[in-house]
Amino acid sequence: MSRSLWLMIARVKLLFFLLPERLLRFCLAFGFILLRMCSNASVITVQLGSLGQADKPQIHLLPCEIEHDGPAEVSRYFTPTVKDHKNEMSVSFRGRGLKGAEINCPQGYTGLVLKEDNKAASDQEDRTVRISSVFHRFTYWNLETKPNSDDGVVMAMTWPALAEAVSVC
Amino acid sequence: MDLSEFEADNSVSCRLASAVPDVCRSEDCCLGIDEAGRGPVLGPMVYGICFCPVSKKDDLKDFKVADSKTLTEDERETLFLKLDEAKDFVGWALQILSPNTISTSMLRRAKYNLNALSHDAAIGLVQYALDSGVQLKEVFVDTVGPAEKYQEKLSQRFPGVEVTVRPKADSLFPIVSAASICAKVARDHAVKSWKFRENLGDVDTDYGSGYPNDPKTKSWLLKYLDPVFGYPQFVRFSWSTAQTLLESKSMTVHWDDDKEDGEKAASRQKCASVLSYFGRSKPQGTAREPHRYFSERKLQTLDML
Amino acid sequence: MSHKKKRSPNTHNDTWVVVAADSAVEAPRRKDGDPLLVQLRNPCTGVASLYMFGSDDAHLYEVKAFNEDCHSWFIGQTVHRDGRLLYITPVDPLYHLLPYLIKVAKEGKFQLLQQMVIDEDFPVCSRLLNCKETKASLGLVAEEKEVAGQKFYRYSQEKTMEWLKKKVDKTVKALKNSNISVGGGVKSTTYIRVNQECDFCEEDYLRYAHGLISEYISEDLSKDLLKHLQLPEVLSPNEAEPPSKKRKVSDKPVEAGEDYTKFNSTDFARKPPKKMTAAQKSLAKVDKTGMKIMSAFFSPKAKTEKLPLGWQLWEVSDSTNASPQLLQSQGS
Repeated sequence: MSRSLWLMIARVKLLFFLLPERLLRFCLAFGFILLRMCSNASVITVQLGSLGQADKPQIHLLPCEIEHDGPAEVSRYFTPTVKDHKNEMSVSFRGRGLKGAEINCPQGYTGLVLKEDNKAASDQEDRTVRISSVFHRFTYWNLETKPNSDDGVVMAMTWPALAEAVSVC
Repeated sequence: MDLSEFEADNSVSCRLASAVPDVCRSEDCCLGIDEAGRGPVLGPMVYGICFCPVSKKDDLKDFKVADSKTLTEDERETLFLKLDEAKDFVGWALQILSPNTISTSMLRRAKYNLNALSHDAAIGLVQYALDSGVQLKEVFVDTVGPAEKYQEKLSQRFPGVEVTVRPKADSLFPIVSAASICAKVARDHAVKSWKFRENLGDVDTDYGSGYPNDPKTKSWLLKYLDPVFGYPQFVRFSWSTAQTLLESKSMTVHWDDDKEDGEKAASRQKCASVLSYFGRSKPQGTAREPHRYFSERKLQTLDML
Repeated sequence: MSHKKKRSPNTHNDTWVVVAADSAVEAPRRKDGDPLLVQLRNPCTGVASLYMFGSDDAHLYEVKAFNEDCHSWFIGQTVHRDGRLLYITPVDPLYHLLPYLIKVAKEGKFQLLQQMVIDEDFPVCSRLLNCKETKASLGLVAEEKEVAGQKFYRYSQEKTMEWLKKKVDKTVKALKNSNISVGGGVKSTTYIRVNQECDFCEEDYLRYAHGLISEYISEDLSKDLLKHLQLPEVLSPNEAEPPSKKRKVSDKPVEAGEDYTKFNSTDFARKPPKKMTAAQKSLAKVDKTGMKIMSAFFSPKAKTEKLPLGWQLWEVSDSTNASPQLLQSQGS
């Protein structure tokens, strides 16, 4: 950030010799606007201090998209109707039969729910997210068929292990 | 009527049955089939069979059984007790289809409609009687749909049994009346003593008849509508009454098998790439396709949170 | 029973479900050492992608999203519409340093890292220098010289190829230990996979691993690596097109002048194609800076406005039915 600023000032100095003043002013103003935008808008701080207050809720991944963000009476309507007989989990949602399985986070990985409390009013503001929840496993629900190794999310869970090989020395 | 077996898990289908009288295993028998609770948007649908030796048909008439709909609740209760006490020559069996079974069957990916569901319940009960050693010669069935096809289906399924499928069979054949009484009593009990698996606290049980056009039923459906979950499992989600209410008063839910015409699907996809928030948009300027490891796992690069 | 339902756009997302490497969220030692989600230039595509500097900038992580249609979450007593699952996994910062090193390689000079790793579009890239791996393993892709206690580096293609080959070997090993199907390419989603590891040949593994590593390097490096692995190039229908000219242009060394102009990369892939005066260049730079960042942040409505040429190219690349020529000219 400070380096870029220095760079910008240095460039402005150079331009001073080459450009008419009006153009220079334009460059200066425009440059600073852009600098603000690119340097601030693209940085989001993850507040680790929030980890202490994070809750450990039950997490379910559903096979449907619910057009809603907010409260849901999960413990009244959903959890009491979940059946778990001999590793066969089932429930219904909106009259449709679901079959479920527990999915664990890979070794060395933790599930986090990141929450942005005050979504920046403009792109110029710094953004922060806090860790609102922590989880180590979640229940994955499939529509009518038992979750299996060909399901997208089950396959995607192989990524962290492979990422270590692909990415790390 | 003891429904405890069903009440132990009222989210699934359950079979209840009397003991099979010895005489039914040695003598030619007739069997009636009827259903209760086909129309209501609430509670289970019950299929019932009643059977007795052909020679005892007149004894059954003496009970003064009649179409359950023409009887009061008390009369039905009394008649059921009489039938249940006639253990020496009358047997019965019930298939209780929970509202959750009805919802999840009818809304299944590969649709399983109410007629198919009903026929399968009836066939299952007849098979149960046969498996129990009942010497079936005559089967009488009440139907709401076209009788001929159903009769053909049952005759083929049970060769050697004379099948009669007839509208209003419950008022024509006493053995069908007896079956309809068993079914109706079970349905009434199940609704009256419904144990909500959901944590709803004290639930208002003033459901009315359960038929969609009953104002009491309607106001109950409004009162217990949850914007996310819709209804408790007591409600048949597959009924158009419930669907219409959910469409107007609850959060929209999309399933991957929702029907969309091609044009709409295309415009939605366009919508998704252009209008959705940035984190969802595809990385820009990618000339190379992502490796299939990632595309097969629906793993995408993000450009912003 | 299912009806045609219009899907409303999800515009106000403020919650993300993430599976993160534990090391990324270790308690920071520095006061301001909290992890940072940032945009860096994707070394494969050249455009902005989301990454994370872990606590105290110790390691770099990439962010990928499992994004399948029709999912939502229940989190405790809430419903969360966005059914994506984000993965925060470690990524070698060297992948990100390489393009900067390569960019100045033609000058043939040894340079300070902080002189090379400068990007006005992504000023945050200077944090890459804080990562532990950077100090520990830069020598794997560059020649080192130490003068007066300062380390100077020069990109080495040979070293880089060896380094990448090791990555491929490691990936092959990991693939063999997994149930990942590496053979045959496209498989239908309904295809039931049986464990047929032994049916895959060494080349299948090698190509698959090369494909994965190629997600982290430029197309040129990817092709060089293929040669280095002694794998013949297989032309897919897409690749049969003439290669992008842009990249070649970008390989030209920027004219030497003042120190800072030398490092003023706006893009690895795109450069003004014509000779320009310093002033024009500065303006062009300004334009592009805006274009990149804005295209990532502005609402689509802004896109209907009249835009400079660069913008239009971005527009095209954003829509899936763009003609291949336009995509090509935009560069990879």
